[in-house]
Order: sequence, then structure tokens, then C-alpha cells
Amino acid sequence: MSSEPQVKTAKQAGLGQCLKCHKLNVITHKDQRCSCCQAKISLRKYRSLEYTLAWTIAAIIAFFPANLYPIMIFTSLGSPEASTILSGIETFIKLGMYPVALVVFIASFIVPLGKMLGLLILIITVKTGSKVDPKHRTQLYHLVEFLGPWSMLDVFVVALMAAVVNLGFITSIEAGPGISYFALMVIFTMFAAESFDPRLLWDNLNNDD
Amino acid sequence: MSVEPVSYDHMIACPQCDGLSTKPLLMEGQKAVCKRCGGKVMERKRDPIRRTLAVALAGLLLLLPATVLPLIGVSAVGLFNQASLLDCIAILIANDYHLIAVSLTIFTLAVPVIRLLAALYISWCIRTKRITPALVHFFRSYHQLDSWTMLHVFLLGIMVSMYKLVALAELSIGLGLVAFILLLICSTLVSVTLDKHYIWEQLENGCEQ
Repeated sequence: MSSEPQVKTAKQAGLGQCLKCHKLNVITHKDQRCSCCQAKISLRKYRSLEYTLAWTIAAIIAFFPANLYPIMIFTSLGSPEASTILSGIETFIKLGMYPVALVVFIASFIVPLGKMLGLLILIITVKTGSKVDPKHRTQLYHLVEFLGPWSMLDVFVVALMAAVVNLGFITSIEAGPGISYFALMVIFTMFAAESFDPRLLWDNLNNDD
Repeated sequence: MSVEPVSYDHMIACPQCDGLSTKPLLMEGQKAVCKRCGGKVMERKRDPIRRTLAVALAGLLLLLPATVLPLIGVSAVGLFNQASLLDCIAILIANDYHLIAVSLTIFTLAVPVIRLLAALYISWCIRTKRITPALVHFFRSYHQLDSWTMLHVFLLGIMVSMYKLVALAELSIGLGLVAFILLLICSTLVSVTLDKHYIWEQLENGCEQ
């Protein structure tokens, strides 16, 4: 801790910050509650890494059916045609609709994958006591947190298209089973990000001095 | 090692890196950043209560048109169909995609509505100085909702769907879309105008008296 300004942490002072109302409390026993808002508080989120890892693994498991099952079934003149996330993007590229192909590819493939990878990196660096600048890792955490809801994009697109395109025999769009797994995956990664405690990223720093 | 019963009301900890600092005295419109990690520690917003009241009320008035009126419509070979947010949910239920129907209802309808109502209620209670211990629990729960509103993602979903549908049929924009965009603006503004630190201060002072 050479270039960093010397800052004492609340943990070193035996204080726990309430995550809800930001009040500092002297931590004396387990299952303590905040003196201001009565929320449960502790020095760090309870079993933060374990919960984050569990939700991340659940998301990774859901990622496979989400991509393998069709998310949309398009029927034109009686012949149904199922498309997965990746084959849908392929169609866009074939049709020359590059901007939408890019938006959908980023929102429904790169972002979920990146989120799960980011969470794994955060867990591993905390576990191994990595010396990588915690500032950058905190930024990574905020990125993961910020991206959370955006991966729901495809779910909403399919829901809306299924409702709008319903022109009797000629054309209709239906949701496919992949969409449920996809939504689950997004929800799991959001829970994972929520259970992670970013203060853990800074704790290694203090053990050195 | 015994902990002295000192009051830490003049101190504040960074929610990201746990660094301790003395609580700054802020003027309206100013914010304080952490000297260790650079994250925002505290912020004092301008005229928070009255602005929140106005924005939340406007959002609630837009709610009905945004959900019931059609968002977009398509017409092809003499057939016409249009769908509102409620239609989307109904179609999903009819096709047995209950998980997606529930998530769509929660993320684009229930959570935004509850947030608007809660912001309105909290601001009203503080304005009329009716602070009860129950309000403390109420506002604590409010924080939980922040990351689960997905109106903005749904709007992007509408845009991607429109782009997809242009190739398929003739598109028309419904009045519901206008209301939906305005609702999204109000819902976003609520988190901009609502000053959590100020409200917690008021709640804490109110309960102690």
C-alpha cells in the first residue's frame, strides 16, 4: 500500500456499514441489526463468495439449454421454423441487417457470457488474494451489476413479437422453450451480482500493511 | 478487547471499499467521493421531496395508458393486429410460458408501479412529517427494488422488434408507446430525484424524537 492514501477501513475499526441506510454500527455480535433501519448487518455480506459462486454455476448450467433450444418459432403459411439465439443472429446477417444482428449478439450472447466470466474472475481473485488493482476489479463488478437487466432484451422481444404477429394462417410467431432457460439465466446472474460484496476486493490490500 | 461506546454519527464508510472518512457537510447539488477508490460516498440532491412527489405522480398517471393502449401494430395483406403490454402477458399465459409471463409482469409492471407508489408515499410522509417506525422498514424494502425494474430494456426490446418486423409487414406505432416512453422517463427520474441519504436522515431523526 504505497501509492494509496492511508485510509482506515470500517472493518478495522470494528464497524459495519449498513448496506441499506449507510449508517455505521459497532459490530458486537452475530445477527446484529442496524440501529437506524433494523436491517441485518455484519462486517461483510454473509457467505458472499459461496452464494455468488452458487448462482453463477446455476446461470452457467441454464446457459446451455438457453442456447440449444429454440427461443422463437416462426410459422409462415403453415410451415413452422424454429430459431435459436445464434441461428436468429445468423438470419439477420444473411438479410444484411447488421446493426440489429450486432445489438442482439451483444445483448443476448456476449453480455450473459461476459457477466458469468466476470463473476468467476471476481470470485477467483478474492479467493486467491490477487494483487490486481482492486479499483479495476470494482469497476468490473459495477459493469456486471449494470449489465444485469439488459440481457432480458431477447425475452422481451420474443414476448412482444409473439403478441403482435398473430395474423391467423399467414404468419405467426410463438415463443420457444429456450426463452424460459434464458430468463432463468439472466435472473441467476442478477442474484449472483447482488450477493457479491465488493468490499471483499479491497480486503487483501489491508492484510499487507 | 472491549469496544468503547462511541458514537460514529460523524463518520461514514464507502459502500464499495469500506474506507472510513468523516461525514462531509454538503450543500444541495454537491456530492462526495471516496479518496481511496473514487466511488460516490454521499450526495445531496436539490429539492428532493417535492421533485420526487411530482415525478412519481406523473408516472402513476401514465401507467394505465402505457399498459392498456397498443404499443405497436402490424398489417399485412389486409390483416391487422396490434398488441399492448397486457396482450404480451396474455399471449404468454395462453401459450403456457408462465415463467416468462411472471417475469414480464414483475419486471415491467409490478416493480415499476411499486417503486412509484413507494416513492410517492415516502415523500408524502416526510413532507407532512408523519414518520413512524413502520416507514423505516418500508423504505428499507424500497432499496431492494432498484435493480429489478426493466422498463428501459423493454423499450429497447420494442425497438428491436420493430426493426425485425419492418421486413415482415407494415408497422404502425400505437399511443401506448408514447405513454410507455413517458412512464420510463418518470420512473428513471424518480431514482434521480429521490435522495436516500436525506430520507434516511429524516427517518432517523423522526424516530428518535
